[in-house]
Amino acid sequence: MTIGSGGSAIVALSTWNCKSALFYHFFFFFLSAVPRNFRLLEELERGEKGIGDGSVSYGMDDADDIYMRSWTGTIIGPHNTVHEGRIYQLKLFCDKDYPEKPPSVRFYSRINMACVNHETGAVEAKKFGMLAHWQREFTMDNVLTQLRKEMAASQNRKLVQPPEGTHF
Amino acid sequence: MANSNLPRRIIKETQRLLSEPAPGISASPSEDNMRYFNVMILGPTQSPYEGGVFKLELFLPEEYPMAAPKVRFLTKIYHPNIDKLGRICLDILKDKWSPALQIRTVLLSIQALLSAPNPDDPLSENIAKHWKSNEAEAVETAKEWTRLYASGV
Repeated sequence: MTIGSGGSAIVALSTWNCKSALFYHFFFFFLSAVPRNFRLLEELERGEKGIGDGSVSYGMDDADDIYMRSWTGTIIGPHNTVHEGRIYQLKLFCDKDYPEKPPSVRFYSRINMACVNHETGAVEAKKFGMLAHWQREFTMDNVLTQLRKEMAASQNRKLVQPPEGTHF
Repeated sequence: MANSNLPRRIIKETQRLLSEPAPGISASPSEDNMRYFNVMILGPTQSPYEGGVFKLELFLPEEYPMAAPKVRFLTKIYHPNIDKLGRICLDILKDKWSPALQIRTVLLSIQALLSAPNPDDPLSENIAKHWKSNEAEAVETAKEWTRLYASGV
């Protein structure tokens, strides 16, 4: 994307520091960042083609919503964990300020996991780094893939789970 | 400042779009992203879209002009080559793109597509079927949608 193509410009800056990184970020953002709607159209097309081995997927909820806000994501529980064999459904909501701001992410299928609110199913940003330290280049695919990794992390892989097929 | 890194070609095209707009078409770059344009196309006369003002958005990707601009309708429209999300089926936006084409030619082609719907190369299957089975009725629906959704600001 945008950021990558400017890589040579970074090297050329002899006094490279955090301040110039910030400047650089804004500079390129204003110049040529892919606008929200076209970014979501790209994500939609990618999602329709299918991602990687299919262990995560997503699609749009309302085919008539020109602003493409509501999405359903699916994660297949990773092997060698309590989640193996389970299929988790999530709701992702991309507001007008996406991808400057992260989507809101909520499990629809019940799950017991450290970063997920036990009552609402919401993925809590303060316990899930990707949302807390969101970058514009991140995608819904990245969020789902990272959540799947999180399921296999030591604090989550053996947690007792609610009955399969129950919902928040 | 921000403009200095914008390719000269894009600056030229933008200036010309603003100073000599094509009839029935307006395109102006967004304040915070010079590659992102707000576009209006007036429905061509003697088409079902006559009297309508159609909003579109256009983005020039990093690779432009080696890659085609990305364009879609924001106004709902009943047309066999345009889908529910406003995506447009037009060869010059896909495999027939050439760097010799410009933003202006793309928008003129979209305007022409409104005058000449092509149900044999559909993007919206249902609308294309409607067009082929009962053109008069499909045209009526297109006129109605124009009144409902594109009647101007």
